[in-house]
Amino acid sequence: MNALPIDPALAWESLPALFDGLGVTVFLTVLPLLIGLALAFPICFARMSPRRALALPAEIFVVFFRGAPLLILLYLVYYGLGQIEALRNGPFWIVFGSPFGCAIVALSLNHAAYMVEVLRGSLLAVPHGIVEASEALGITRRNIFLWVRMPLALRYGLKAYQNEVVSFVKGTAIVSVVTITDLMAVANSIFEQTYDPFTPILCAAAFYWAFVNLIRVGFTFWGRWLGRHTAEDAPVALPGRQGLGGLAGRVKVTP
Amino acid sequence: MTNLSLADLAGYLRQLGEGALITLELFLASFTLAFVLGVLIGVATLSRNRIIRAAWRVYASIFMGVPSLLVIFLIFYGGSAMLAAVLGEFGARIDISPFGAGVAALGIVYAAYVAELVRGAIENLPKGQFEGARALAIPPFIMWGRVILPQVMRLALPGLVNVWSFMLKETPLVSLAGLQDLVAAAKIAAGATKEPFIFFIATALVFIAFSAASLWLANRLETRLDRGQRRAPVRSPARAEA
Repeated sequence: MNALPIDPALAWESLPALFDGLGVTVFLTVLPLLIGLALAFPICFARMSPRRALALPAEIFVVFFRGAPLLILLYLVYYGLGQIEALRNGPFWIVFGSPFGCAIVALSLNHAAYMVEVLRGSLLAVPHGIVEASEALGITRRNIFLWVRMPLALRYGLKAYQNEVVSFVKGTAIVSVVTITDLMAVANSIFEQTYDPFTPILCAAAFYWAFVNLIRVGFTFWGRWLGRHTAEDAPVALPGRQGLGGLAGRVKVTP
Repeated sequence: MTNLSLADLAGYLRQLGEGALITLELFLASFTLAFVLGVLIGVATLSRNRIIRAAWRVYASIFMGVPSLLVIFLIFYGGSAMLAAVLGEFGARIDISPFGAGVAALGIVYAAYVAELVRGAIENLPKGQFEGARALAIPPFIMWGRVILPQVMRLALPGLVNVWSFMLKETPLVSLAGLQDLVAAAKIAAGATKEPFIFFIATALVFIAFSAASLWLANRLETRLDRGQRRAPVRSPARAEA
């Protein structure tokens, strides 16, 4: 065994396969992020509704899809839904019959549940007086939401959104259990062929690290751009407990 | 619809129970490791030493930027070789079990998050706490144990609860390294009975129930630890609902 655990020749040889895997990982990140966000808005409105009949189902949705581990959700969608006869013969089998469809469904639902809480927290952080002032000015409710509450909520919740996106990316590493060859699966299969435990996995780690940090940098720039009107680029922290501002940084916001 | 006999069901339930016990053991062992390591790292990296700070930054960046599953696989596949490199002949003979790999991986990954919390909390303690302890000539060991860390725990508790519940949701990943835990048992039962829906829903509910119970306990603990403090009027909105 040489001093360096990485075999450069093998690393170079497996680069194309790893890039393919990265492509799958990126695809399985971007699509569920979009679907999850789109789902999160209506569910968040239902969750915040004063009507119990709307709020309760939304709450149950959030508790279930946030509380259940992603791996189990994936198993549930992939193995469980095939049990339902009507679904197997219905038009949606195109989605649920393929591993990709199942992974996207499970990931989207999980992301949506987390995003409901992020959205809700951010919307609740908008000072009520601002909304009241907008109402007093006769701005329509839709415009208040679009041009007053949402822009502020985005600034308050950006950090939480970043945390969610980052931990979501890392969460996608499990899709190999339903036979999808993402970055993790490619690294695993190279390991199984060569029995080199370090090279493929460390290369995959570098890819994940780069992807995650690219997202972090993107969010940092986005945050700076959003806060460009402020004199100093003081980070807008959620008005949390004093002394805990820094901790929210990397940990996913959970209830 | 269901084709389960009562005797079968009882057998599978027993297996699931055994799996749940392993999951719980794994979770508690990794959380303990993460907590102890995290507090030690958090305190150690507050030093002004540039090398220590740089090492901390590298460690945190790597383990916060990489999926836990990858770390689990790395330790499970490569752990023996790593031990051999560190301990020589003796290390090579140690076999890495999925359980050991899971505890080590989750412990190392989440220690970074715990350390981050602890660092934040220590930095936010009033300087007077340290100065007062020094003025009273309290030895450093007692100062950390009896003065600083108890206050740090109070400040870091909400974050630790986050780590707790997030880590709980990552423990099933160790089943992919071959650990016969709750999720593995559910998968076997689901495959054998052709009733995946019931078993996976039940497993999900076990996790949700455990996490709800621990959150309830954490709330009680938080109230207790805060008893000397004025209740903070504004709570972080993102975690306002328990």
